[in-house]
Amino acid sequence: MRSEKILSYIDNLPASLSIDVPEDTKLTLNIASFEKLESSKIVVKVHRDADFEAYMADFSVFQGKIEVLVELLEEGAECNWHLSSMGTKDSKKEFITSVIHSAPHTTASMSNYGIARDESRLIFKGTGTIEKGAVKTNTKQVAKIIVFDPKSDGVASPALVIDDNDVSASHAAVVGRLNEEHLYYLQSRGVSLEEAKRLIASGYLRPIEAGFADENVKNRIDSIIEGGF
Amino acid sequence: MAKLIIKDLYVSVKGTSILRGLNFEMDEGETVALLGPNGHGKSTLIATIMGDPKYSVDGGSITFDGQDVLAMSPDKRSQLGLFLGMQYPAEIPGLNSADFYKAAMNSHREKPMALFQFYRELEKAYKEVGIPFEMNSRNLNEGFSGGEKKRNEILQMRLLKPRIAMLDEIDSGLDVDAINVVSDVINEEHARGAGILVISHYARLLDLVKPTRAAIIINGRIVVSGGPEIIKRVDTEGYEWIKTELGIEVAKEINPAMNQVSIGVCATREAVKNEK
Repeated sequence: MRSEKILSYIDNLPASLSIDVPEDTKLTLNIASFEKLESSKIVVKVHRDADFEAYMADFSVFQGKIEVLVELLEEGAECNWHLSSMGTKDSKKEFITSVIHSAPHTTASMSNYGIARDESRLIFKGTGTIEKGAVKTNTKQVAKIIVFDPKSDGVASPALVIDDNDVSASHAAVVGRLNEEHLYYLQSRGVSLEEAKRLIASGYLRPIEAGFADENVKNRIDSIIEGGF
Repeated sequence: MAKLIIKDLYVSVKGTSILRGLNFEMDEGETVALLGPNGHGKSTLIATIMGDPKYSVDGGSITFDGQDVLAMSPDKRSQLGLFLGMQYPAEIPGLNSADFYKAAMNSHREKPMALFQFYRELEKAYKEVGIPFEMNSRNLNEGFSGGEKKRNEILQMRLLKPRIAMLDEIDSGLDVDAINVVSDVINEEHARGAGILVISHYARLLDLVKPTRAAIIINGRIVVSGGPEIIKRVDTEGYEWIKTELGIEVAKEINPAMNQVSIGVCATREAVKNEK
């Protein structure tokens, strides 16, 4: 059986982090920031038939940049990145999540979901690069932000750079204001405006919980989402 | 028995006046058909009763059970017992249907339901409207077919047990079997004591739910009301007789913009064609 490892940073993500995922292993990265987060650069090298899974839940109030670069170096390397971020107060958070496919038969999925509240600004960027010769690769990028309040703001601009033909690539970026029609629909069934907002936010952010091994962390994510809007 | 009373109601959307001094009354427990040509205010009326923010109320009053409905937010209107089964229910990405139904049902009661009781009622309702129970874990209305959305509206009516259920073309997009299923549920709601206010262009649904009264909206007002014989007459003759018998000029469509909704590629194409 191949080896599996979990790396966990709860409110203590270092300013720089280098991760190596050796051949035929699986590494799960859990990052949660409830109170504290500082700018950080994470570089991950994924080797033959290795699997990198990352879950980042961010609720911090912070101004800075998180950069993630995943290098899929050998055949069969795989990366699944999931981010749920909530911007509150005067946060200005930029997440740059990039992946480079250097070898054939590599797979990557980068999903970033965010909610910008109060006067916060969320920025989701990142490039999926498929180098020449990296055939039969599959890369997917999703960046979605809901802007909750009049003074909050979001930018989602994932990009693809593809240098070979025999690949499959997709990206989706959506930034939308909280939809008045959606809120009315939910309210018309009896739920209050606050509850309707909480339900929509919860649908966006809660799926990240499943990726965390620690029950305490799951409960903390839950209680923040339940904590009212 | 509580009464829904609408007096001298004026409503506009984006500056276009739709309802122009409308008066209407119905009892909890009554089944009433709301008829009228497209664009004359049927949907506007029931959306205004529910509190749709698209519509501005420029005058008049709506009360139910003696309470001022217009002073309430849509959630309070729902809690008071009003329900609107919508013609185009919103798709809510990321929101689990069952989570939402639980929140909605709990908003109608003082103490939250036990999970077991909730799932039992949910399962029963899914069975009644004829959609697979497994759909409760899907996102609310997201990717549902037209017919599934309509059944989903009826499902929520069943869960929330309203005192007045307003149904806006709930039969459009449904095949004959589905119309039978939906009308059975409507009839059960009526038997439970709910008032039903139904808009439909098809005689089939009205044949099945058997309204005891009908009202026709023309030019933003109710111009004819009476027994079920009116439904039959409209079904066979249309609205021409209103002009000849009552001398009311029927405007072509006072609110054409309301019918230009995009519900998919085809509808978008239609809308583009109409604009040309």
